[in-house]
Amino acid sequence: MTRKRDRLGVIYDILRIIRGNYNSIRPTPLLRYSNLSSQSFSEYYQELLEKGFVKEVIDKKGKKYITLTDKGFKYLEKYKFILGFVDEFEL
Amino acid sequence: MPRFISGQFMDQAGFEIELVYTFIIVVLCFLVYYKTREIYDLTGYKGIKYFRHVFLFFGLAYAFRLFLHSLLISKIAFDFILPMRMLLPLSNMLVAYLSTMAFLYLAYSTIWKRINFEHFLYASNIIALIVAGLAFISGSHILVSMIQLLILLLIIILIISKKYQKGKKRLPMSAVYLLISMFWLINLFILGPRRFLPFELKISLQIISVIVFFVIYYKVTKLVK
Repeated sequence: MTRKRDRLGVIYDILRIIRGNYNSIRPTPLLRYSNLSSQSFSEYYQELLEKGFVKEVIDKKGKKYITLTDKGFKYLEKYKFILGFVDEFEL
Repeated sequence: MPRFISGQFMDQAGFEIELVYTFIIVVLCFLVYYKTREIYDLTGYKGIKYFRHVFLFFGLAYAFRLFLHSLLISKIAFDFILPMRMLLPLSNMLVAYLSTMAFLYLAYSTIWKRINFEHFLYASNIIALIVAGLAFISGSHILVSMIQLLILLLIIILIISKKYQKGKKRLPMSAVYLLISMFWLINLFILGPRRFLPFELKISLQIISVIVFFVIYYKVTKLVK
């Protein structure tokens, strides 16, 4: 499995964790569940924010939560097709 | 200024077949490009980007090839109206540039995971521009065909080595990529002077070519729902 394929899979795993937590999770448990190093997690997290897959929400107590955007949900929905496409066309 | 000679006689029916054939290929290429837009926007995956560019450049190359073909066969009819001495070399250059880009993207799509060449975009453009320049200077399609044949051989070697590493025996999609490259080369080759393919052979190749492009389009639509 290639590094790039891993990247698609890691993004899928992170988004799935958020969705599995009623679409609202704090950064620390997300880091723990994602099984990534702090540095890797930070890079992926920034990428997810920049690409608009996730967004940060601050509650009344000032705590930061991470939720999926529509684009994030769409990625989860299309993930199997994306993998199938990459495999089929040997990309 | 280079001289272009249209040595191939083509009647009205022949040109109409060519027009329909090119139209189908161009539409299929652009549909593949369009259909894969969403998954590329979602993932930003480089392999999908290169795949899309192969079809974008092939689509454009086929479209300009038809334009070039039209110029060649209408040379006598429009010699007094169109500035043929400029149009022919320019369209020849464009066809050479676009098709070389398609070949280079095809080659790179097979190796980008193993060789992450950061400056591929610049390098591919420089190579394609050199080929286009040579096409302009020589005024010959044969030179472009030979260079692209070399790239095709490189693609074959890369695909075989990739499969050998993975230990796979079958070459399903790779074979399809090679076929579309070969169809292009045949199409480019027959544009040259006095290179006449028998009508039956030409129409058979065109039908097979359309089927291959359609198979790719069908697979894309099936996978990208």
